[in-house]
Parts: sequence; C-alpha cells; structure tokens
Amino acid sequence: MTTRFPATHAALLGIVLAISGFILWSAVSASTSLDNLVVVAPVAAVLGVLLLVVIAGALRGSASEDVKSGAGSDLLLLAGFSAFCFALTHIGFDVATFVFVWAGVVMSGGRGLWQPPLFAALFTVLLVKGFGSLFPYPMLTLVL
Amino acid sequence: MIDHFALSQAFSLLFTSFEPWLWVIPGLLIGLVFGSIPGLQISMAMAVFLPVTFGMDFLQAMLFLTAIFTGGAYGGGVTAILMNIPGSSSSIATAFDGYPMARQGKHNEALGLGLAASVVGAFVGYILLLLLIDPLAALVLKIGPMEMVVVVLWGLTLIATLNDSSLAKGLLAGFFGLMLSQIGMSTTGVMRTTVGNPHLLDGIPVVPAMIGIFAASELLRLRGNTYLVQDEAQRDISLGRILKGVSQTFRYPSVLVRGSLIGAVIGAIPGVGSSVANLVSYGEAKRTSETSETFGKGAPEGVIAAESANSSSEGGSMTALLALGIPGGAATAVLLAAFSFHNIIGGPSFIRNQTDVVYSIILGNLGQVVLLAVIGLLMLRVLGLVVRVPLAYLVPSVLAMCAWGGYGITGTIAGPLTVAGFAGLGWLMRRNDYPVAATVIGLLLGRMMEGELVRTLQISNGQPLNYLLERPIALALFVFMLLVLVGAPLFKTLRQRRDDRAGT
Repeated sequence: MTTRFPATHAALLGIVLAISGFILWSAVSASTSLDNLVVVAPVAAVLGVLLLVVIAGALRGSASEDVKSGAGSDLLLLAGFSAFCFALTHIGFDVATFVFVWAGVVMSGGRGLWQPPLFAALFTVLLVKGFGSLFPYPMLTLVL
Repeated sequence: MIDHFALSQAFSLLFTSFEPWLWVIPGLLIGLVFGSIPGLQISMAMAVFLPVTFGMDFLQAMLFLTAIFTGGAYGGGVTAILMNIPGSSSSIATAFDGYPMARQGKHNEALGLGLAASVVGAFVGYILLLLLIDPLAALVLKIGPMEMVVVVLWGLTLIATLNDSSLAKGLLAGFFGLMLSQIGMSTTGVMRTTVGNPHLLDGIPVVPAMIGIFAASELLRLRGNTYLVQDEAQRDISLGRILKGVSQTFRYPSVLVRGSLIGAVIGAIPGVGSSVANLVSYGEAKRTSETSETFGKGAPEGVIAAESANSSSEGGSMTALLALGIPGGAATAVLLAAFSFHNIIGGPSFIRNQTDVVYSIILGNLGQVVLLAVIGLLMLRVLGLVVRVPLAYLVPSVLAMCAWGGYGITGTIAGPLTVAGFAGLGWLMRRNDYPVAATVIGLLLGRMMEGELVRTLQISNGQPLNYLLERPIALALFVFMLLVLVGAPLFKTLRQRRDDRAGT
C-alpha cells in the first residue's frame, strides 16, 4: 500500500504543532521579557517554517512511500507499556512487572504454557530484589 | 610543569602498599554495572557507595570513587552498542554507529572499539590533567557564559548532520527537542507550560526521556525479529573478534586523538562535560571523514570518536574539582563530598600544599585505566551474551527495566510516564524516518543554552555581539567553529571541483 501522507506522519506533525504551539502560548502568556523568550520565540519561528517545508515536501513528493505494516500490534504493546508505567506506583512494582512481562512475552511470540509466566516471575523477583534494592526511593510492592 | 619531588612521593604513596588499590577493581565493576543499566546513574552509584569510603583513608576513597566513575563511563557505552540504550547522556553518540554495527553482527568488534577508545581517551585525559593542571585551571576560570554558549551551539550543530535523507526532518526533530526543553520554570523563575503539575517544574527529565525515545521505541521496532543479531553464525561472543576491534581502533589515530582532546577540553568546562563532548567529537569525526556517508550505518570512527571523548572528559572534569574545588557535574559533586568528609578542600591551596596527593589521584586513575582494559575485556564476554537472548523475552524485560529506570531517576511516577510518552514519540519518529537522537540533543542542550544565553545577555547589558569581541576565548572558539563548520566543507567542495576539472 502506498500513500503520500501516512496517518502516523500526520499524527506526529500534529503532535509537534500542538505541543510547540502550547509551549509558545504558555511562555508568552507568562512573560514577554527577552529573558523568558530568548530560546522559545526563535525556536518556534524556525519550527513553524520547518513544519511547512516538511508538509509541502510530503505533499509534493511522489506517492511511493510505503506504509509500514504492524502498527496495530505495536500500538497495542505501547498501550500496554503505558498502562504498566502507570500501574507501577498504583498496584505495585512486583505485580505490574509480572503481568506486563508475561503478557509482553506472549505478545512477542514466546511459546509454551508455563515458560512465559515462570520467566516473568523469576525476572520480577530478580528486579525487585536486585535493581529495586539500589533505589534510593521507597518502592510500592504488593507481594514481594 | 611537573613537580618531580611530589611525583616521586606520589609513586611511593601509591606503590609502597597494596591498600590504595584494594577497592579499585570492585569500584570498576560497580561502575560497569551501574553504567550499563538504564536509569542507574554513575553519580547515583557514587552516592550510594560514598558511606563505604568513610572508613578508608583519603587516597583509597578517591581511587574507589573514581574507579566507579571510570567503569561507569564505559558501561554506558556497552548498552548503547548492544541495545541502542545509552546508559547516560554521555553515551548518546556511541549508539549512532555502535548499534548498527551490532545489528550487522559486528557487536564483538564494536565492543572492542569502544573499550580501546575509552581506555585511550581516559589515559589521554589524565595525562593532560597531570601535565596541564595549572594552565587548565586558569583556562576554566576564564570561561564564562558566552564561552559556554559557543560550546553548546557547537554541540547543537550535530542536529543538522544526523539525517542524511532529509535535512528538514533532522532539523525539525532537533528544534522540537529544543522546544520541549523550555517546559518548566525558566532560568529567571518564570513558570511555563507546567499545567499545574509539580513534576514539570524542573522541566522534562532528560534521562527518562532519553530511555523512552531511544530504547523503548527501538524495542518496539525490533519485535518482528527473533534475535538482536539475525545471523546465527554471527551471534557468538569472541575474544578474538573483540581484540580485532581493539586493534582496529588504532587504525584511526586522528579520530582517537581528536576525540580525546575534545573530551578533555570540553570536560573541563563545569556544567557542560561529557554530554556535549561526545556529540561534538562525533560531529567533528563525521564532518572530517572521507567516508562520512557511512556514519550512522556502522562506521567504526563514530564509536571511537564518541567513546574517546566521553572517557577523556572524566580527566577534564577533575580539573575544576582538584584545581578550583568546583564540581563540574553530579559525579564530581560526590567526589567533593568525599573531599569534605576527609577535611580536604580542593583548590589552589590543595594543589600547592598537597601536590603529592593530587599526583597520586591522577596516577592512580592512570592505573585504573589499565585495569579497566582487563576488567572490560572479561566483562564484555558476559555482557555480550545479550545477543543470544530471544527477542520475545528480551523486549518485554528491557521495556520493564526502562520503566524502572525512569523511576530510579525521578523517584516518582513522572519518570515511568516520561519513558512511556517518549516511547510513543520515538515510535512515531522512527516510523517516519526522523532522527530521535536530534530530539534528545535538543532537549539536553536547550536548557543549558537558555541559562547561558540569559546570563550572557545580563552580563553584556543586552549587547552580546559587542561582548563577544571582548572575550578572546569565546571569539576564538566561535571563529574556529565557523571555520570547521563552513570553511572546511567549502574547501573540500572547491578541492573536489578542481580535481573533477583536472580529471576531465
């Protein structure tokens, strides 16, 4: 399948535009002094020009860019990863890690009924007792 | 330049008993482990083990802590090469060519290149420190915000060279990073884009962002494969091939020496250090290489330039600490804490009155570098085993470690969430051929740039160009940067045209 402007590219440029626009607006609203805008203003101006150049280039270019496959499963794992990051400090580092690693191994093609959960359990214990013990911060755990 | 009497006393301090060396090997191992795990910082390792040094004498404590520093600087490069995860910001440029080499099955050679470049770089850095500690200290005192602006600008120019297929995409990625660096409280105390979230007061945490955009997004991309190195025959860990990489390093003496010198000088500038040194060195290696088109695709020069610079910057960063008592970064701040525990104050009087101790620290570090070569070679055989782990198991495990690493840096939910957010951004960028490294460089240097620019504007009373003319070091750096960035490529093009004309 080919397209001039893949949806993921449009999404990326939309994110860049939205975040940069918000940072500029927020900085200008906070203070219009030179000290405050010395980097934000020129960077925003150049970014605006670059966005136009990239969009124009993508629209003018030939429709030969392949749409890469596998976005659905990548996004699923990414969503799972985001949920895992959020769950770490909410349900506990141990349980969240165990569930995520188990599910991740299965989603990535790990075979067998008992190997993925066993690996996830061993890895979690190693992480909590090894990596976790080096943290200078308190770490919420549910089981370990 | 060298006080020979103090030097002979330093030798006797170091070599009359084995005691100063007792903790060097454990220190190197701790540094290697902390450096190679994303989220565990070298400074964190030094802080965690600082209390252990309270029972040691001063020299032993210094050698132990600097061994962690030395091991950590190299450890960050190992994961950058094997998994595209820079252990710290000082290893960003190592991943540019080290990781493509690993994917091509040349992980042994890449690890050898990295080790040899690190050893040579650290050696050069400490030799320069030994010979030039006084003039370097005087130079550091003359460096102000204007000079820092020029150095940071130099680091930023690398953004433009990171994407060969589209300059606009490379620049857009870099400028977006610069924009993101403006989130949080400004240098002058103005709140920007914090949306009422206290976690954003200090801006976006750079290391979790780096872990997310580099590592997590790359791991998602790897899922279709079965192993990091697809060719089974290439998956071995071979000491012979690591040593081949080591010997290959010396085929690029100019890259090695230039990287080491850039690292030592930039490393001496407090607050800039190895994060910028490896980028500047990589950029210069690419610009001056006859085969610049191979950079980013597995060029050995890229690994050598980055690793030699980040290792030699360690010696540079010790300049300000020993000669002026100023810590240039988090790691040297921990060293300063060890100084104060032993009732020692760094600075001109320390160098003048306790020259033998200063020389002992420097010589001890030179010895550590030799030990690093041995320990590194032994450890590489273990660390390199990662290429034999099936990706179905490696990807979720390392993703989990990335999130943990984010927490390890911030101690709050902000770390893991930053990793997740930047993983998504990195996935989108890689899918559409944007260089993620440019965004990290922008994010890393944007804050530094703003602070130094504001200070320059304040000092110069709003006349930075006039002020530039009054600062000989800044002016010289600026002219040199222009010559390197504009003059050298122009000269190269003119020479090529002349050769083409002569050929036809």
